[in-house]
Amino acid sequence: MIGNDIVDLNLAKTQSNWQRKGFLEKQFTESEHAEILNSENPFLKVWLFWSMKEAAYKCYVQEFQKRFFAPKKFSCKLVSNQKGIVEIENNLYYLENLISENYIHSIATKKNNLKVISQLFFIAEKIFSTKTINQKLVSFFPAEVQLQKNEIGIPSLYQNQAKLPVSISKSHHGNYGAFAFSM
Amino acid sequence: MKKEELITKLKTIVKPYIQDEEAFRNLNEDTDFINDLKINSANLVDVILDVEDEFKIEIDNDSMEKMLSVKAAMEIIETKLAQK
Repeated sequence: MIGNDIVDLNLAKTQSNWQRKGFLEKQFTESEHAEILNSENPFLKVWLFWSMKEAAYKCYVQEFQKRFFAPKKFSCKLVSNQKGIVEIENNLYYLENLISENYIHSIATKKNNLKVISQLFFIAEKIFSTKTINQKLVSFFPAEVQLQKNEIGIPSLYQNQAKLPVSISKSHHGNYGAFAFSM
Repeated sequence: MKKEELITKLKTIVKPYIQDEEAFRNLNEDTDFINDLKINSANLVDVILDVEDEFKIEIDNDSMEKMLSVKAAMEIIETKLAQK
């Protein structure tokens, strides 16, 4: 299982106000909350934890096939800014984060050191974002492979009506798009 | 509170966060915040905080977990208002 999430940091600055009353309390555990406030860059820590939680959620949803909104249940532990673990109900997810000036990209996997293929790219035309991400992802597979979403919105790859044994995850935020998959 | 009134209030609340105008124009009980309105999941917490402010209620973690659609939001708001 794989999940990924991208945060466009420039958009996050204007789209959300992490200092809003209740914002941290609703989404972060007490220890995450403390770590954010004690951080040299609280804004970056907020979005790093968020991105990790969201990537782990995308893994979890594929496994359990149920949607919900409970970011606080996903508890983050950082080994370094690049590596971490997210835990929910005794399920562990291994996180790899890529942090730049403009974005944070997190990839969560169920198994540690799973072989992952991922791509991250700039999207200038936001109206074509879904199409761009889908095209880039399917270009890794034979021409007849298609992307399909199931009834709860989880995407999978299909070839001749048969589901391929590949876990995929797509993400988009602002000017960035990304995907990840593992065989 | 009447259903129509509740939907109208919810519509005003979600408006700043929606990214699909057509789904927003056709908003009804079956509308999904993320799949239909394309609200960024990081903004879902803003919707919840705005609902709390507007209706003067507190949405606990268990209720928040279900707040993915207009229908679920309406049920939660109605329950919380009845408990006041």
